[in-house]
Amino acid sequence: MREFAEWLQGTPVSVMIQSIKWIIPLLQSIHIVTIGIVFISSLMIALRVLGRVRADEPFNDVWRRFAPWMWSGLVVMAVTGLILVLGEPIREFTALSFWIKMTLLAIAIVSTMAFGHSLRGTTLAARPEFSAGAKTVAIANIAIWLAIIFLGRAIAYDIEVWGSLSLHA
Amino acid sequence: MNVASVVQSIEASGLAEWMRSNVKAMPIVEAIHVLCAVTVFGTILIVDLRLLGFPNLRRAFTRISDELLRLTWGAFVISVITGVIMFAPNANTYYGNWPFRLKMVALLGAGVNMAIFQFITLRSVATWDKDSRAPAAARAAGAASLLIWLTVIFLARWIGFTKGYNFAPAEDVNFSFE
Repeated sequence: MREFAEWLQGTPVSVMIQSIKWIIPLLQSIHIVTIGIVFISSLMIALRVLGRVRADEPFNDVWRRFAPWMWSGLVVMAVTGLILVLGEPIREFTALSFWIKMTLLAIAIVSTMAFGHSLRGTTLAARPEFSAGAKTVAIANIAIWLAIIFLGRAIAYDIEVWGSLSLHA
Repeated sequence: MNVASVVQSIEASGLAEWMRSNVKAMPIVEAIHVLCAVTVFGTILIVDLRLLGFPNLRRAFTRISDELLRLTWGAFVISVITGVIMFAPNANTYYGNWPFRLKMVALLGAGVNMAIFQFITLRSVATWDKDSRAPAAARAAGAASLLIWLTVIFLARWIGFTKGYNFAPAEDVNFSFE
């Protein structure tokens, strides 16, 4: 992995990203803005399942309001994230936080898709209260997003956070 | 007592010393800061967009804002606390850093914009709360808030790239911070 990261860091596209000094701060800023959009959108969907926000609106309406923001935000996050990885492959690939973050991201995407698919169509009258299972998934989703954001910042501090477990070590 | 000496004494404080001697503390505090900052931004975005009429005017403005206000304020308070903790160990560097100073000005701007909205514009909310377009002052407050908070996030990230790295990286670790 280290060899691959070193090779990638030497490719023309990576060198180009590294040579333009404002690209990485700019992309990180856009990445953080979109995290705000994606996190709050999925939080609103999860809180609706828990009955904490928009309890007067059918789940379908809440889903339709926030899911498009969540998916388009995810696309922007993926694109900016990919360019950031191309620009600093060694920093990312040798960070344990990066790999845990990617794993959690995959879980978050799959569980949100399954979640939306199974709950769409539920109306207020038909299901005033969500099942304990749905609520558990909602809480888990919030926890996964909190962990993803936390790990995103922790990538910059892999040794400090993970000590001997760090892939830098 | 001038600002520089206050900054100096913050950097010499026990909190600052504790942060400098605990390597795990800074990433944890920073991560909480980012977490709360994106929560502030994301919840304010929903309120601002509603002021601008997106996605529609069917849901009452006060209903949307009341529901999110506690989350926004809670996250904002934690952002300020974590921000102070991040500032302390490196106070002189932050104080002299221009993106940091601009960020503080932008935060002040966000506060003024919110105060005007809260105490003046919002008085007439009963007439535009639901199913009717918000007045120009309210739409302007929403647009200004959106721009200011985006600016805050961009400036915040810029601080990290301009202030210098304050931990000595372990040997053979490539921190490509420029």
